[in-house]
Amino acid sequence: MSRYSTRKSFDLEWVEHWARRVNEDRILAVIGRFFTGKFVLGIDETDYLIEVSKGKIQRIAEGLAANDFGFDFALRAPSGSWAKFSQPIPPPMFNDIWAMAHPLHQHMRIEGNTLPFWQNLRALTHMLSLMRSA
Amino acid sequence: MNTHDPIVGRYVYVQCEGKTYRTYYEENGEGIPLVCLHTAGTDGRQYRHQLCDPDITANFRVIVFDLPWHGKSLPPADFYLKEDEYKLTAKFYSDFIVAFCHALELKKPVILGCSMGGNVCLSLALRYEHEFLALIALEACDYSPGWWINPLHHPHIHGGEVVATSVFGLMSPESPDEYRWETWWYYAQGGPGVFKGDLYFYSVDSDHRDQVSKISGKLPMFFLTGEYDFACTPEMTERTAEKIKNAECIIFSGGHFPTSEDPVKFKEVISPVLRKVLALDPERRRERSGAFTTRSSLSSARAERPAANADGRRHIEL
Repeated sequence: MSRYSTRKSFDLEWVEHWARRVNEDRILAVIGRFFTGKFVLGIDETDYLIEVSKGKIQRIAEGLAANDFGFDFALRAPSGSWAKFSQPIPPPMFNDIWAMAHPLHQHMRIEGNTLPFWQNLRALTHMLSLMRSA
Repeated sequence: MNTHDPIVGRYVYVQCEGKTYRTYYEENGEGIPLVCLHTAGTDGRQYRHQLCDPDITANFRVIVFDLPWHGKSLPPADFYLKEDEYKLTAKFYSDFIVAFCHALELKKPVILGCSMGGNVCLSLALRYEHEFLALIALEACDYSPGWWINPLHHPHIHGGEVVATSVFGLMSPESPDEYRWETWWYYAQGGPGVFKGDLYFYSVDSDHRDQVSKISGKLPMFFLTGEYDFACTPEMTERTAEKIKNAECIIFSGGHFPTSEDPVKFKEVISPVLRKVLALDPERRRERSGAFTTRSSLSSARAERPAANADGRRHIEL
């Protein structure tokens, strides 16, 4: 089990740590250059708003507010699912967001407007895989 | 000096459901025909490692064709007039496989299919039991729902990238990066709507749940599924195999595209199965004067025979 395996780990600091790693990534700068939008990373009952511009995370916020003007899509899952997803070698059925969200498994919910989710799937998949970096 | 793979590619004209399909196929090897079926939305390149493996091609004529609409096989000439989106059906798919085998005049071939190519083995067992020596179904089950979805063919979504990325997580994170991304690349190259249309078969028209128990069990069937397959989980394969008399089921530590995502691992997994398939056809073994030597018999055979036959073909080391 990774160090991200308990609920306590998935706080704003953890999200910030991941976001900074995203912004240092040189592949994402290429494959994510048209990825601009806002999505929610939902962990248990907490929503983290992630604002992305050209593949870089511009802002993160704990909880949603009226000032946000909403978001495009949300990826919501229990902390236990994120804990498995973020392991260096994630276990079967938890190694991919579509795997987790697939109707057969339902370890994650994809909500909101799914069009930008699918449009940016490659960049998003890479972005989230950086949760696994040491 | 130039280096070539031993693979040879050709086109054959296949008649199916009143149309003629110029069909691309590749082959290498001699012996029992082993016809390999690619997965949805991609093409025969997925079997390039097996086509080049001398341990397999010493005893099997490995043949891989691109289904119409895929790879170097074209869609029907009037595809632009279709009044419905492309949808692969169980009937066309199984009919086409048999028509292809007839076009090449293959005698009792073995089918090795993956994913939708594995699921169609159930149709083949139900409809064409006497055509084949054995069926090897990779990543297959009697019902695999949830994949016939619009995002995979939508004008606002890049088809190649979304199709390829949607299947990336089906592979084991421990398969080599080089081969996982090569598999991603195959997927990124499919024609518009072809992956989704194939998934009509995979998730809708290959629902065999009420039919598998009718499979007689006379035709040997082998099921092999990797533990990271989230479209057809090991449990789904096991439940299917349990309903079929005499079927064998193997679960291994890999993903949904074993032939291309980790060919070394796949060789370990498939070798015992191929050894059993060889044992099914003693007639053809005799024809080849003992060329189908398996590892299990090598120890006794080795003292009397050289490692290669007089014609230079290598013994199998499965």
